[in-house]
Amino acid sequence: MSPSATESVAILMPSRFDRETVPALLQEVRRGIHEGQHRICLDLREVESFDSAGMALVVGALRAAREAGLQIEIQGVQDSVYDFFSLVSVERLLEEPQALPRPGFIEGLGGLALPLAEGSQKGAILIGRSMWGWVLSPFRGQKLRLGKIAEEIFQAGNGAMFIVALIGFLLGLILAMQAWVQLKIFGADIFVADMVAVGVTREIGPLMTGVLVAARSGSSIAARLGTMVINEEVDALEQMGIHPNRYLVAPKVLGLAMATPCLTLVFCTMAILGGWLFGVTTVGLDAMAYIEQTHQALRTADILAAVIKGATFGALIAAVACSLGLGVRGGPEGVGRATTRAVVTSIFLIILVDAFFVLFVKLGA
Amino acid sequence: MFFRRTRSIPEEYLQNIGAHDDLLRALFVMTQFDGRTVLDGVDLAIRRGEIFVILGPSGCGKTTLLHHMAGMLPPTMGSIQIDGKDIYGIPPAELDELRTHMGFSFQHGALLNSMSVLDNICLPLREATQLPEMLIRDIGRIKLDMVGLIHAQDLEPSDLSGGMRKRAAIARAIAMDPDLVFFDEPSAGLDPITAAEIDNLILKLKTVFGITMVVVTHDIPSAFTIADHMILLLDGQQLAKGSPEEILSSKDPRVVNFIGRTMPLADPAKVDILNYVAGVDSRLPEPRGANS
Repeated sequence: MSPSATESVAILMPSRFDRETVPALLQEVRRGIHEGQHRICLDLREVESFDSAGMALVVGALRAAREAGLQIEIQGVQDSVYDFFSLVSVERLLEEPQALPRPGFIEGLGGLALPLAEGSQKGAILIGRSMWGWVLSPFRGQKLRLGKIAEEIFQAGNGAMFIVALIGFLLGLILAMQAWVQLKIFGADIFVADMVAVGVTREIGPLMTGVLVAARSGSSIAARLGTMVINEEVDALEQMGIHPNRYLVAPKVLGLAMATPCLTLVFCTMAILGGWLFGVTTVGLDAMAYIEQTHQALRTADILAAVIKGATFGALIAAVACSLGLGVRGGPEGVGRATTRAVVTSIFLIILVDAFFVLFVKLGA
Repeated sequence: MFFRRTRSIPEEYLQNIGAHDDLLRALFVMTQFDGRTVLDGVDLAIRRGEIFVILGPSGCGKTTLLHHMAGMLPPTMGSIQIDGKDIYGIPPAELDELRTHMGFSFQHGALLNSMSVLDNICLPLREATQLPEMLIRDIGRIKLDMVGLIHAQDLEPSDLSGGMRKRAAIARAIAMDPDLVFFDEPSAGLDPITAAEIDNLILKLKTVFGITMVVVTHDIPSAFTIADHMILLLDGQQLAKGSPEEILSSKDPRVVNFIGRTMPLADPAKVDILNYVAGVDSRLPEPRGANS
């Protein structure tokens, strides 16, 4: 059936066809298209003031009409409006790109797990390459840069000393308090010392120190290296024949691997001190008896375990932070993303590796 | 008040400077940073619908002057007037309203990395207008098509090349259909073809929309291509002021030296300009791209 004159509708645009009037006109045009008229005519003959909003309305109307299978005609185009249209291609504007489909639940889960797996893999590769490069450096006539390692130890160790000591002390106090509530029922108050010493040294000390180092030093390393990548400093190093793995990563991995066990020992000592203070002042235990009980409870293997865990966690944090920092793309936003991911991935991996340690000790026992 | 003016301008001085239909006037602008004088007594008047170029070598105070004019940094002394109003004397809310009629294209784009190119263009429209989202997206796409970047609408700013970034910055600067647009080094660091494209875009925007534009540049060919009027700054002082022809005919050795030194002799068009300046040729060469 051919369209009749009654099936067409003409919309006369007012003299001001701009940001002020367009929202109201948009309703009118939508109504015209919605009512399914075969042909719509936008009459611009009276238009005196025209801006981008007016043009956006014309483009939107053309697109809506095309989607609805209607014909649309634009009449009475003034020179000023024509000039405006001459700057763009209406055909290009009508081709709105398809939005990417939103990921489903399973894809979403995968999307969460993937960065963790990726971070771990890259961290492991980086740790191997940087250490290998560092060990080989004297044979290649390159410096070991021991001063840089000392600097990293100082930055990560000395800087975190106060907060690690404070949190260790408070945690020891809390742990002793919780242990005493249970142990006093059985009249075993003195075993508060065992609980605090063994619990802190074997598990809580390395774990909490690792979390603190990840939050403080891991984030800082990722942000520093990410900024260097953005400023093309890393490219400049490579161009000068200085490999970033040896120059940047190795001192950080070694520095954190040495600083973290020291911090772990500080944490454990302060936690034991916190427990001792609680035991002596609140529980009423003898000061020397508490120390003797702690001495009996702790074995060399426990302290060694704390040191090994601390070193492993330190190296792990540095490797993850370096790999994510060096992989930064996308400007300052990328640095922010890398920093967050460095902390989250490090903490996750610390807990995972700690679980493996426990399993390993149990199987070995 | 947040904005400060350390000293007022004598009334008789104000009356004698510039025509009253000028859109923007800078009156006796003097700026000091930590006791160091960056701008020293700059006066200028910019007419509606013209392209005004601030020309000068690096570090001469061009960008500082542009920031003064765009309401971003009050001068130590002097006044910036838009439509006869001292922009640092009006309440902050009024200045914010005035800013919605201005656009600023930053030297390195200053696009927000946290959002796509299209969202960068749409940002001022979303924040400062009540337009429906559908129209805002189409306006953003129109602006991107004008600068030839519609294919890059979903990219992140970090994925853009230097030239694309500058064009995206121009699209954002004109997103609100401003009356006045400031450009900070629009062609710096670009290859000659891309720089010429940016010049043509600026000329088109002037012709079609009648936007008043203030362009800071140290690129002399670009300046002479687009300028209706210009000011030449050197060490914070105005060396010469006027139309490109007036600047070229200046006999001030510092002006001749600056223009001569910054034009490589390989380009025949530039040799023509130098010959004109030196008086060898009495015919003023046609500016590049003037007929496009």
